[in-house]
Amino acid sequence: MAEYKSIRVEHGAGGFGGPLTITPTEQRNKVMYITGGGAEPECLAKIVELTGLEPVNGFKTNCPEEELALVIIDCGGTLRCGIYPKKRIPTINVMPVGKSGPMAQFITEDIYVSAVTSKQVSLADGTAAPAAESKPAHEEKKSEGVKFSADKKVSETLASQEKKSLVTVIGLGAGKVVNTFYQAARDAIQTCITTLLPFMGFVSLLIGIINGSGFGDAFASVLTPLAGNIGGLVILGIVCSIPGLSALLGPGAVIAQIVGTLVGAEIGKGNIAPQLALPALFAINTQGACDFIPVGLGLAEAETETIEVGVVSVMYSRFATGWIRVLLAYAASFGLY
Amino acid sequence: MDFIVKLASGFMNLFTLGGTQFVSWVTGIIPTIVMLLILMNAIIALVGDEKIEKIARICTGNPILRYMVLPFVSAFMLGNPMALSIGKFMPEFYKPCYYASATYHCHTNNGIFPHINASELFIWLGIANGVTALGLSTVPLAVRYLLVGLVANFISGWATEFTTKLVEKQQGVKLSRELKVK
Repeated sequence: MAEYKSIRVEHGAGGFGGPLTITPTEQRNKVMYITGGGAEPECLAKIVELTGLEPVNGFKTNCPEEELALVIIDCGGTLRCGIYPKKRIPTINVMPVGKSGPMAQFITEDIYVSAVTSKQVSLADGTAAPAAESKPAHEEKKSEGVKFSADKKVSETLASQEKKSLVTVIGLGAGKVVNTFYQAARDAIQTCITTLLPFMGFVSLLIGIINGSGFGDAFASVLTPLAGNIGGLVILGIVCSIPGLSALLGPGAVIAQIVGTLVGAEIGKGNIAPQLALPALFAINTQGACDFIPVGLGLAEAETETIEVGVVSVMYSRFATGWIRVLLAYAASFGLY
Repeated sequence: MDFIVKLASGFMNLFTLGGTQFVSWVTGIIPTIVMLLILMNAIIALVGDEKIEKIARICTGNPILRYMVLPFVSAFMLGNPMALSIGKFMPEFYKPCYYASATYHCHTNNGIFPHINASELFIWLGIANGVTALGLSTVPLAVRYLLVGLVANFISGWATEFTTKLVEKQQGVKLSRELKVK
């Protein structure tokens, strides 16, 4: 056990944070798990095997904080998931939980990683342990783990470890689904608060001012001839997609969203026929994402050359196909309403 | 005096109108969207990203899969902007083309699946609200938006292959058509 190795832990499906690199030292040589009422988390065996850390069951015993290299928890997003990050001890959560709970501000990517299974654990030098090798080693370490706890509380340890398997499997499975949904709900509400509600507020104010001040009629006189017939919509589509201009119209799709709302208001008043809503949806957005090309291609790990070509190419293709999209939508709009 | 009062009430009216609009959106739109977002987020978390990457590897070979099926699936599963990251499974030459299609897919499917691009939802919602105001259902519009989108986004993605060739000639470079083996 004297030899310690660093591991790299990434977040799993629906998880948050990481990748963490965990490097055990002579002093920090223990991994504490506080999961499922004392059951071993699935990723523990692999972590122990790769790092050489000594496992400690947090439900059975305790361990001085200075000796902890890592903590594994299964917190659904209330308290535990924040405690160890707050103390700056690397934390693995087996549940797909992001920043949440009263200590959410301490949960950051450099100290916390969630939804971790053994698949997300690998040696820091990039080589994953071969599967065949990990099995026997796993058994060995497990028995040592039991011995360790047995030193502390003899009867309890063995009894609970034998019995728990079936109950824990079901319990942990149900817990994971419930927690996944809970996290999904948290994300959904977060999206509403950070993006949807502010935009609704902003556009509502705009609409209030436009409708209340009489600007609405002025806008209508500009928009109706443009958005009220297919010729105007094609022109709108071509103008929005002019290379260069398209990149300026893009950011946050704010302009397209405002134009959409204004066109919608005219449809609601009966100035524009409702079936034109379909081609209008395409016409106001022919510039879609022209401002985002370098970032988007960066996400796709494109090379510099590709980005240089791609920025121009996508703008050209937007310009070339924008009007086709509007006409296609117009053809499909017959019989809509 | 009357003039000032009139001015003030006109001024306040702007915000009352805006507030009415805001409340109608919050009560009429937010609840449904939150429910949809929760379910979609949960499905995505349960399925996991690895499966999408598997699909991506299969889909790079053929234009229909590349610009119609794959961007649809990745937009649905990963949303905007992470759907664009799936382009990494393509040879360099096809990355801009995939981008052209996938970014549109993050909009045209938004009528039925608002989770794909919740922060740019008003492109769809702004226009759809007008249709709602007339007492009509927005569902047929959303379905056609998605279907026309599938075809139109394919065209946009595919056409980018031609514009990319054009730009390659202009800039005097040639992008790799082969996938780099890592």
